[in-house]
Amino acid sequence: MNPLFRKYVCIAAVALLLAILPIAASMLGQEYYISLFSRILIYAIAAVSLDLLLGFSGMISLGHAAFVGIGSYVVGIFFYHSAEMEPLLTHPFTVQGSENGLIVIPLAVLVSAIFALVIGALSLRTKGMHFIMITLAFAQMIYYFFVSLEKYGGDDGLSLYARSTLPGLDLGNDLQFYYLCLLLLSLFLLFTTRLVASPFGIVIRGCSNNERRINALGINAYGYKLACFVIAGAGAGLAGALLANQTEYVSPGLMHWTLSGELMVMVLLGGLGTLFGPVLGAAAFLLLEEFLAMYTEHWMLYLGPFLILVVIFAKRGLYGVLVGGGKDHG
Amino acid sequence: MAEMLLEVASLNKSYGAIQATQDLHLNIEKGHIHALIGPNGAGKTTLVNQLTGDIFPDSGRIIYKSCEITRMSDYKRARLGIARSFQITHIFENLTVAENMALAINARNGHSFHFWRNSLKSSIVTANLDNALARVDLGHRARLKASHLSHGEKRQLEVGMALVGNPELLILDEPMAGMGSGGTVELSKLISSLKGSVTILLVEHDMDVVFSLADMVTVLVYGHNILTDSPTNVRTNKEVQAAYLGESVDA
Repeated sequence: MNPLFRKYVCIAAVALLLAILPIAASMLGQEYYISLFSRILIYAIAAVSLDLLLGFSGMISLGHAAFVGIGSYVVGIFFYHSAEMEPLLTHPFTVQGSENGLIVIPLAVLVSAIFALVIGALSLRTKGMHFIMITLAFAQMIYYFFVSLEKYGGDDGLSLYARSTLPGLDLGNDLQFYYLCLLLLSLFLLFTTRLVASPFGIVIRGCSNNERRINALGINAYGYKLACFVIAGAGAGLAGALLANQTEYVSPGLMHWTLSGELMVMVLLGGLGTLFGPVLGAAAFLLLEEFLAMYTEHWMLYLGPFLILVVIFAKRGLYGVLVGGGKDHG
Repeated sequence: MAEMLLEVASLNKSYGAIQATQDLHLNIEKGHIHALIGPNGAGKTTLVNQLTGDIFPDSGRIIYKSCEITRMSDYKRARLGIARSFQITHIFENLTVAENMALAINARNGHSFHFWRNSLKSSIVTANLDNALARVDLGHRARLKASHLSHGEKRQLEVGMALVGNPELLILDEPMAGMGSGGTVELSKLISSLKGSVTILLVEHDMDVVFSLADMVTVLVYGHNILTDSPTNVRTNKEVQAAYLGESVDA
């Protein structure tokens, strides 16, 4: 079969499956799966955004969860102030809390992007191992900052009593929330797919292969890598905002480096540099966690060998197994 | 007096005890093919890296078009029209041949901060891509991943990328290295076809290539310019023969 055709068939099949899944789940009386798959879609957004860094621009960030956490805390903190009827900020101007999704979700994306801009601007002055360590260090700094932030629950985190409001939608309804996540994941995949094939995208992919050559062409690699880091951070922030809504709970655990590691596993499992792969990776990871955890709390013991086998034998992860053929980009 | 495109004065660069560039003076005349030769370890690539801004000299000055660029960063120099090919082929193996070229085309035409449009479909790329590929005879390879090209073709692609946007100074660091004789002939033809339209600094080991192409030859020994003269004079110079050419010239 033509690999390109096979790729489209596979993507269409997965899309169709995700589209009818909640309907099938309600018919079978297994509504629980709707919320499990909402989680999968949200983690998929975070994993796809990390793939932009790991798979396309060659920036190995071990602090990606920081942006997920920041996105979720923006939603959590605005909710808290709205519920307590207490202004979030009084000087130099007054900022009130909010539960409006049209405000807090874009704001979560924006704040994550700003954090990514600052962290990226500093981290990208280093390369290789140092870059890995400095992104990890920043993420852990932010983690401990929120752990010590007693006002918002410290390491106990913050409970939300409801999900964000959106005009015409009831996000408290799991079905509607699921389709919102699916829509946002689809839009994010569309954007990232266009991105990696754009003039910006070839610069980024060029950087991962040979940054010195990019500079020799008269392109300042730093600016492009930073922009990519910000885009990835914004994507993670979106995932964080959705995750806060999905669980109605935010905690510093979302910024812990173990979550950064899990996102990395999802990308590798699904297929590095494939964009659609990390969606499969997120699904495989969370489903394995879900089902293995039923039998043993040491489920990581079984996930580990599985990951090793996938990484050794399927170079492009589950995506490669499904789609096969040559590399379409990267 | 002829117009100088590049002037290097009293350049010094050392790595610990090793003096890689020693009080080096060098003038490159506009429009010339200026060859740079010297035994291994003479500091040819170190000099090239200082000209392109990969590394900075310890002291001395580099003047390009009457403008001092000694401490200017590499990407800014590239924008001023200094293009290079590397001693070890530097192309983007993970991109297609067309994407490699598109990258160079976009780089020469402002920024690449376009996030949505396909990289190969912008007007500036479609207008220049075919010509740029044809110039280095790679039109038929456009859709292939660069990693699948032969060694000679990779070289051609690299030179082609350096030529996009019509640089004024093209630095070719051992372009013939590792090429078969067929590839050498092809690339020599390409370089001589550029004569006059672009000033070229050619770092090369292949003496036949140097003496057939160059207008001027500089001989570098231990980071020092021992002689800059016409190919004929360099060929017959006793000091050069002793230092470098040895038997290879008579052979």
